[in-house]
Amino acid sequence: MTPLTSKVCVVGDFAVGKTSVVERFVTNQFSEKYLSTVGVKIDTKEIDFPALGLKHKLVIWDVAGAEEFGPREMAYLRGASGYIYVADGTRSATLKAVERLHSQISEAYGSIPCVLLVNKRDLKPDWEVSDERFDTLATNYDDAYRTSAKTGDDVDQAITRLAELIIDNDIRGA
Amino acid sequence: MNDLDQLKELLFGAEKQALDSISERVERREIRTADVADILPEAIHQSHQKDGELVESLTQPVGECVQQALRDEPETYADALYPVMGPAIRKSIMHALRNFSQQINEAVDNSISPKGLKWRWQASRAGIPFGEYVLQKTMRYRVEQAYLISRENGLLVDHVHHESSIIKDSDAVSAMFTAIQDFVKESFSPDRTGRLESADMGDFTLWAVHGPHALLVCVIRGVPPKSLRADLSAILERIHFRYGDAIREYKGDTSTIPDVEVELERCLQFEAREESGKARKGPPVPIVIFLLLLVSIAAFLGVRSWMYSQQQDKLDAALNATPGIYVTKIDRSGRNFAVRGLRDPLAMDVADVAESLDIPAERLSVSMQPFQSLQPEILAERAAQMFDKPESVDLSVSGTTLVVSGEAPSAWRQTLQSRFSNLAGIDRLDISGLQASDWQQFADRVASLNNRKFFFQSGVDLVEGDQDKLREFASELAKLLDDARDLEYPVSVTIRGSTDSIGDAGANAVLADRRATFAARVLASAGVDARILRQPELRAADGEPRADVSQRYVQIDLQPESLADLP
Repeated sequence: MTPLTSKVCVVGDFAVGKTSVVERFVTNQFSEKYLSTVGVKIDTKEIDFPALGLKHKLVIWDVAGAEEFGPREMAYLRGASGYIYVADGTRSATLKAVERLHSQISEAYGSIPCVLLVNKRDLKPDWEVSDERFDTLATNYDDAYRTSAKTGDDVDQAITRLAELIIDNDIRGA
Repeated sequence: MNDLDQLKELLFGAEKQALDSISERVERREIRTADVADILPEAIHQSHQKDGELVESLTQPVGECVQQALRDEPETYADALYPVMGPAIRKSIMHALRNFSQQINEAVDNSISPKGLKWRWQASRAGIPFGEYVLQKTMRYRVEQAYLISRENGLLVDHVHHESSIIKDSDAVSAMFTAIQDFVKESFSPDRTGRLESADMGDFTLWAVHGPHALLVCVIRGVPPKSLRADLSAILERIHFRYGDAIREYKGDTSTIPDVEVELERCLQFEAREESGKARKGPPVPIVIFLLLLVSIAAFLGVRSWMYSQQQDKLDAALNATPGIYVTKIDRSGRNFAVRGLRDPLAMDVADVAESLDIPAERLSVSMQPFQSLQPEILAERAAQMFDKPESVDLSVSGTTLVVSGEAPSAWRQTLQSRFSNLAGIDRLDISGLQASDWQQFADRVASLNNRKFFFQSGVDLVEGDQDKLREFASELAKLLDDARDLEYPVSVTIRGSTDSIGDAGANAVLADRRATFAARVLASAGVDARILRQPELRAADGEPRADVSQRYVQIDLQPESLADLP
């Protein structure tokens, strides 16, 4: 299989579950303990695409949570092939933060494959995002998912989908 | 078309077509452009070959174009020049470093430790300067891993490592290093031009070499030499030269950059090892033997040199203590000595002095100028030679006085007394210890002739036989007195006349006087100086008067004068 490596950045507001999502995807486990991410954390995960004859390795940059990025965080994003925007479904303000980050990144680096993860789906009673709003938001991204890092719901699917989008964009589009 | 036109067509149709074609070429800008473009390279070539006018014409506009382009796109030009400028700058720096290495070489040239000697030998065999070799030997390092990372996105282009190295997820390492690099640049470099070039982690050093499109990060165990950075830069430049465009466009597909691993693996060749475990236990036996041999030879040569040096000091001291020799310099060449200085011909031979110190003549080269020494021993020797000193005499010099002792003939003493002042350095003579060796013989001669009596029959007639005896005596006495005069031993002669007791005393006194005068006359006839004669004491015979023949005589006594003054 042909190996392919891509840089993927995970961005979002504070405590939306970015690190948990990555950890769920990478190690298939979930830590209850909240991890305050400072700066950036790097993980990798390889995804097989037998149909394409491709092994796609994602180098995932888990960037510290912020409502808006400064120069240091923007530098971390340089050269990324895809973005995972993460918001907290129980805090609608985090969706606005994601929107701001999305526009900031798009302005700086152009249109790049991205998926939106509205996380903490397991906390349904506290859910603040209506289906309508979710659908409206989803149009701004290549794809959008309601995920739970705790249960693992749709985490793999969302990130695998991003990997496919990257292949389409970088390889097929190239 | 009228007839005229038809006629024109018939007559000039072909020319008209050509004119139209030319007219179209002249009027249409794109055709003119194409024509000029077609001939421009050849035209430039011909013009350049013809004279220098083209260069002169183009110098200013081309220069301005380049300046404008550099101002507008400095990075593009920097990237383009990177593979060229790097080696040129490095070559210049290497030249400077080589000079520096030469200085180190001179500085450590005096190192004579066993390790230093060993390294010197090995450096000589390897054909590299000693200083450079010392630097190599004193630095222990090894490039364990090398990462080639895209500067654009932090993706790992390739990664090589030694088999023994412990490898984590190289993609994650690559990304994390890029993140740290960004973090440092954003946090600590105000103008964001700073770069993280090295980091230390215990036994490891991380070195990053930056190119326009890629970053070469090497994990090095130990302390690398500064020159390694230049080597790594050269590798990165070569990678840029071959794969620069592919790295710039790199999106994670390694197939777009084939064989870069081969280039990258050259990084792993840089290492400076410790000696092997076997060697660490001690140097090889042949080297030990060789070193021992060297030490033994050095010790032998050292001791021998010390002994010869001692011998030289002894020779110097002995020669300077020898009267009549003045040494100005003794040179030693190995076991041989060259002596230079002054030597009195009467002094001991230099070779004899050396012989007494077990230095054979064949090891000696003597160059001595003759001179007259005033040293007492030499003065005494010179006096001995000059005056043909008898063995019974001792000569010595005290200050400027020649001291003579022992026994010597009076004649020798006289010669010495008259000529000693001719001896340079002597102005006084002390002969208080010198005795005359011929005095006794003279005294014996005097004694044998002393108190001789010659008898008379009567009057002044000698008895038969004494007349001849008196004449012989006179002859012997004359000889004795001659010798006494030569020897400066004055001798007085006394003649006493005697008579028997018969007769008148007054007449006897006259007779005694006549007999003494008679004898004196005989002596004078033999040449005995009359002045030494004395009137003898008149003497009458004592006792009873009788005619005693034995009383009728003259007695001749010899008395050396100033006998007590003689030595």
